[in-house]
Amino acid sequence: MNFYDKFLRHISTHILTVLIILAVVPAGVALLVRHYLPVEGVLLFVVAIGLVGALVAQRSIIERTTEPVKALWDVIQFVSPKSTQTAAPKLDILHSGREMIAVMANQVYQLAQSVDHAKDLRGAKDTSLHASFIANSLPLPLVVLDKDESIVFANKAALEYLARPADEVEGNNVYSIFDFSFSDDDTFDTWLKRSKHKSVSTSRTWERVRLGLVDQANNKQFDLAAHYNKSNPFGYETVLVLFDHTETYGQDDQSLGFIALTVHELRTPLTLLRGYIEVFKEEIGPKLAPDLQEFMQKMEVSGQQLSAFVDNILNVVKVQDNQLELHLKQENWNEVLDHVVSDLSLRTEVRGITIKTDIASDLPPVAVDRYSIYEVLSNLVDNAVKYSGTAKQIFISASVNKEGMVETSVKDFGVGIDSSILPHIFDKFYRDHHNRAKVGGTGLGLYLCQAIVKAHHGSIFVRSKVGQGSTFFFTVVPYHKLSDELKANAKNGITREAHGWIKNHSYYKR
Amino acid sequence: MTPTLKNILCIEDEHFISELYVRALTKAGYEVDVEMDGQKGLDRAKSNQYDIILLDLMIPTITGIEVLRHLRDKSETPKLKARIIITTNLEQRQDIREDIESQADGYLVKASITPHELVDFLSQLEPNTP
Repeated sequence: MNFYDKFLRHISTHILTVLIILAVVPAGVALLVRHYLPVEGVLLFVVAIGLVGALVAQRSIIERTTEPVKALWDVIQFVSPKSTQTAAPKLDILHSGREMIAVMANQVYQLAQSVDHAKDLRGAKDTSLHASFIANSLPLPLVVLDKDESIVFANKAALEYLARPADEVEGNNVYSIFDFSFSDDDTFDTWLKRSKHKSVSTSRTWERVRLGLVDQANNKQFDLAAHYNKSNPFGYETVLVLFDHTETYGQDDQSLGFIALTVHELRTPLTLLRGYIEVFKEEIGPKLAPDLQEFMQKMEVSGQQLSAFVDNILNVVKVQDNQLELHLKQENWNEVLDHVVSDLSLRTEVRGITIKTDIASDLPPVAVDRYSIYEVLSNLVDNAVKYSGTAKQIFISASVNKEGMVETSVKDFGVGIDSSILPHIFDKFYRDHHNRAKVGGTGLGLYLCQAIVKAHHGSIFVRSKVGQGSTFFFTVVPYHKLSDELKANAKNGITREAHGWIKNHSYYKR
Repeated sequence: MTPTLKNILCIEDEHFISELYVRALTKAGYEVDVEMDGQKGLDRAKSNQYDIILLDLMIPTITGIEVLRHLRDKSETPKLKARIIITTNLEQRQDIREDIESQADGYLVKASITPHELVDFLSQLEPNTP
C-alpha cells in the first residue's frame, strides 16, 4: 500500500467517524428528549444539533484533510528564495500522510538544490563567456579538455586550423581530432597520463610536433604547449596551445627530400663505378705495382663509402617518413661482427688504421636486422676513422652487460668530443661546430644509428674525452629474451619500424 | 663450376650495367640473355626457358612491376620456373616495396652490390618448384 492510499484511508476513517457521530448522537438525543417535547420540537432540536455537529465536524474535516497540504506549502515556502526561515518545517507532528509528505518534501528540497546548482552553472557560464571571448580573440589555436580527454572548447583559431566546425570538434575525444606525432617517446599522451597520476598542476612544451589530421596528409608542424590542472572547478582539466611552424619546419624536410632525390641519381653511376673498379681489380690488379694496387683499393673503398652515404641519406628520409621497416631475425652475433669487421677493415686499412676486436666467444644469439645493424656498425666505424686524427687503431668489443643485453662498442683514440655537445650528438643534422671546418659530414649518421638501435629496442650512448677519443656503445636484445608469442608470429622476422615520428596515441591504428 | 640455375634473363635498360653483369655472370658459368624493355622482356620470360630473371623496375614500355605482375599471374604463366630477382636503384614506399618483395624471390639495390656480389647471391638460390 502506498503513501497516498494510506493517507486516503486515514481521511476516510475520520469522515466515517464524524458521520457516525452526526447520525447517532442527534438520534440518541432525540429519543431522550422525545418524552418532553412535541414532534416538531424534536425535529427542530435534531436539526439544530445536526447543524452544530456539522459545523464542528466541518472544521475538524478541513483541518485534518488540509494538514498535509499545509505542511507541503510550508516546505515550499521554506525553500523559496524570499524565505527568511532558518529551520525546516517539522513534519513529524502531522496526523496523516506523514511519510508521504516527508518523501514529497525531500523531493522539493532536492529540486531546490538542483535549481541552485543550475544557477551556479549559469553563473559559471557567464564567466566562461568572458573566457571564451578572450580565447576566441587569441590568434593561436587553443583547445580545452575535460578529465575524459574530450574537447570541451576549441577557440576560433583552433577550428580554423582544423578546418572543422565546432560541433564536429567539441565533445569529441582529443585523439580522434588531433592525430599528433612527436619526435621522441615522451608524447603528449604519456605526459598527460603521468600528470594525472602525479601532479595537481603542471605545464610542458614540445617542439616539432606533427599533425596528421585524421584522413588528411601530414601537413602541419608546430610547437605544442600544454597546461594540466586537476582541481579546475569547471572540469577544464587540460589546455593546449599550438604554435604553427609548418613553413619553417617544412623547409628542413623539403631540403632533405631534395637531397634524397639528388642522391638517388647517384646510384646508377655508382653501380657502374663499383662494377668497373671490381673488373679492373680482378683483371689487372695483381699485375699492378704496389702503389697502384693501393690506389685501386682506395678507389674501391671510396665506392663503398659513397654507396653507404647514399644509403644513409635515403634511410634518413625513410625514418623521417616512418617508412624504414626492419625485420629482426635470430642471428649469431659473433658471425655478424666477424663479417662486418672483415668488410670494414678494407675501409680502415686504406687509412692505415687497424681494427682490433675483443668479442666474447659465448655471446647469445641476438634479434637483429642484419642489414640495418650493419649500417649502424659501418657508421660508427666510419666515424671512428674520421675522428681518429693521428691514432691508428680502432677497438671493437662485445659482451653481455649487467642488464643481460648484448653490448657492442666502437672505440677510437682520436680527437674526442667536447662534453658540451655530447647531449646533442644523436640529433638530426647536428654537427660539432669545432670540427665542422675540419671534418666533413651530414650530421645524419648518428641520428640514423639511434633510430635503428631504438627500433631494435636497444640503446645507444657515448663516452668521450677531448684528446683521448670516443667510445660509442649500443645494445641489442638476446633472442631468448623475446616473448614466445613474438617468436611464433615471426615467420619472416619480427617487423619493427624505425621511427622518426612517434604516434601520440593508438586511438587510430594504421 | 657450372651453376645449377644456369639460364638467366636480364631485363635492364642501362646497357653499361647489363654489360657488367653479363661479364661477371658469364665468367661464373651462367648463360645470360639481355632485354632492354619491359614488354620484350616479358615475352621472352614467358618462353619459360630461364632459371633466373633479373628484373629492373624502371624500364621502357611496361614497368618492372607490371612485368612481375604478369609473370605471377597464374592464368598467364601457370608454370613459371624462374626465380625472379628485382635489381633496382629505385627507392620505394615501404608498402610498395613489401608488395614487390612478397612477389619476387629477391630484392637487390644495384648501387649496394658489385657484380661479384650479385654472382654470390645468385649462386645461393635454390631451384623453384612451381
